[in-house]
Amino acid sequence: MVIIETAERVCGEYAVRLLADFGAEVIKVERPGGAPTRAMGPFHEGQSTLFRYLNSNKKSVLLDLDRADDRALLDRLLARADALIDDHRPDWAAAHSLAHGSLPDLVHCAITPFGQAAPSHWQIARPINVMNAGGWAWHTPSETPADKPPLQGAGRFMSDYEAGIEAALCVAASLFARRRTGKGQAIDISEVAVQLSRADAVLGRMLAGDADPGPERTRYDMGGPGAAFACADGHVYLLMTTRAHWRGLCALMGDPDWATAFPDDWLEYHCTPDRVAEFRDHFRLWIVHQPKDAVSDAAQRAGVPLVQVNTAADIANHRQYAYRGYFQSLDGIAYPTAPYRMSASPVRIHAHAPAPGAHQGEAA
Amino acid sequence: MNRTGPLAGIRVLEITKVWAGPYTGKLLAFLGAEVIKVESRANLDEMRAYGGVDIDSAPYFRSINQQVLSVQVDMKSDEGMAYLRRMIAMSDVLIDNLRPGAMERSGLSYDAVRAIRPGIIQLSIKMYGTDGPLGYQTGYAPCFAALGGLNALVGHDGETPAGINIRYGDSTVGASAALAIVAALHHRETTGEGQFIDLSAVETLSTMIGDSLFAYGLTGDLPRAQANAHADMAPHGCYPCIDGQWISIAVANDDEWTALVKTLRASALGQDAQFADHASRVDHSAELDAAIAAITITHDADTLSEALLMASVPAYKSQSSLDLIGSEALWSLGAYRLVTDARGDVRPVIGPGWRMAPDEAPIEKGAPLLGEHNAYVYGDLLGLDEAELADLVARRIAY
Repeated sequence: MVIIETAERVCGEYAVRLLADFGAEVIKVERPGGAPTRAMGPFHEGQSTLFRYLNSNKKSVLLDLDRADDRALLDRLLARADALIDDHRPDWAAAHSLAHGSLPDLVHCAITPFGQAAPSHWQIARPINVMNAGGWAWHTPSETPADKPPLQGAGRFMSDYEAGIEAALCVAASLFARRRTGKGQAIDISEVAVQLSRADAVLGRMLAGDADPGPERTRYDMGGPGAAFACADGHVYLLMTTRAHWRGLCALMGDPDWATAFPDDWLEYHCTPDRVAEFRDHFRLWIVHQPKDAVSDAAQRAGVPLVQVNTAADIANHRQYAYRGYFQSLDGIAYPTAPYRMSASPVRIHAHAPAPGAHQGEAA
Repeated sequence: MNRTGPLAGIRVLEITKVWAGPYTGKLLAFLGAEVIKVESRANLDEMRAYGGVDIDSAPYFRSINQQVLSVQVDMKSDEGMAYLRRMIAMSDVLIDNLRPGAMERSGLSYDAVRAIRPGIIQLSIKMYGTDGPLGYQTGYAPCFAALGGLNALVGHDGETPAGINIRYGDSTVGASAALAIVAALHHRETTGEGQFIDLSAVETLSTMIGDSLFAYGLTGDLPRAQANAHADMAPHGCYPCIDGQWISIAVANDDEWTALVKTLRASALGQDAQFADHASRVDHSAELDAAIAAITITHDADTLSEALLMASVPAYKSQSSLDLIGSEALWSLGAYRLVTDARGDVRPVIGPGWRMAPDEAPIEKGAPLLGEHNAYVYGDLLGLDEAELADLVARRIAY
């Protein structure tokens, strides 16, 4: 499989990395001077860590698609390719003879914030705009008071990664069909539609009239005492929904007097905001003295969903991640890979991100 | 069942519950696969029970499981298991998200399954994966987000990082699983070989911050929750508008800044020395956020969003559930679809993140009634006649 990447944003570059990790041959087309993500931090030894993360296992050619000769070279690359993945605005694509639907023999995937049919001026939306347009920011974090801003999520690129998974899925499925039928496919990924789809069990019930939508920031919330708490050496997350969880937690805390005053079935039948607040006031004073690993291990044995809020440092040294090989080392550099361990065709990092135009000769 | 779409001709059996596993099945069905959900009244997907008494019209279940088929099999009986093995023998993919060890206890370890159907792709979703030192542990989506490193990066300034909304996570896990399955279909097409796919929900959520994990490994600088701040943009955040609304704005360069100042009619901001160039705006982002908020507070978020976008400033209203459902734009862009269930009920549902042509699988059927496709599976696929199926129903094998 040969995939050409004209994408220049995180969503497209990530979609292609997912496919490259499965073993597709990827030729990344970069503008003269290099891809825009090469200029995005944080940097290490003069290189963008973001670029290196997104572009391992790829080859690079430099093409100025505004020039006829370079544009013709892209056509030659496309002639031997199976798929093209792009994430530019539709008007950019049209201006470079890459309009969506104009390459019927290929699997041609275009990722845009709102999908091909949306007003052109909306297609400049960035990840924080997509997270807000799609509803997750409005409801993040849970229980946010009305006077605090909605939050974009974790890091800078959550909506890009979500859209990237969707694009990779559709491209892989369409390439599978193409192997059998020889036919191409034009795929139109909407970053905002991906955000909505991820909320199907919550927003979908409101859409169908089974639950009430509303302007409140808490409309996606579940109620209950689940929340993050400061502990002795970091934070833990507690989710508690059943009598068994409650009994387990009480035992873990040594059955303090305040806890025995709560009805045994309060989580199921008497979970009022007042009671949740009272629980948290007491629990906070206990959990703040507990080290997170020890209390989480004890909680797991007691059947209580109380877990560590892990940092990047915790994950880098995590025994389960190590066992599964989530990080793959290449020349001493640890790459986060994929959450799926595949017994017959495992994901493999075999090449660092390329230097700009490193494969120019090969392409020509 | 004749379907179109890129995965037409692929048959998937799912033994799944709640959200992540069913979401995988839905995405594959939306791509044209024939997805059969194995269910039993004796061991019901709890989503059929939440929010109502009628297991065939449970809101949670109906909001996820569109376009999949339902067959009843009592997996606790030997006879039921014998029929299930016959279904496996006719399938390309088997998915589960049961508790660790449950498939093995039912005699459905990968070795057992591939003995029934060589070349099958079996995918199992577990909190921490199938084995390893913590493989026995179980949990829910907010636990995945905490353990996976995602929640530590979400929080307002100066507060305990509260994490992303409590509902987030399961669907992302399901989508990642669907991708791995299609990759395995390619491998099978090339080699004839099936495989076992062992998916970790916790690691899936780590991939949502993969760049941060990678950067930490190289630089040693621990990433932390930064609210809406962005190292390369300012203003970058959510700003209050009238009536409790908020607007998101992301400015990356001088052109966008100039257009923002002009659209907001904020010439004083444009002349303020601490905001004179991009670097100084990033350096003074807290002051800038406060200054922008003082202006946006008098604006309507929709109107301002449209004006900013027209001026080439990336912006969008922060949409509530009410905004999302009432959005004419989202309806007209096809984000929502109408499906019909076996009772003739028409229901709006959330469509997938894609459109495709020329070979898009239609999305038209609502979530199945329990056992709605018993006749198709036991009859058309396994060759039982009506009397034999009626007997299975009467003896609660198809239950």
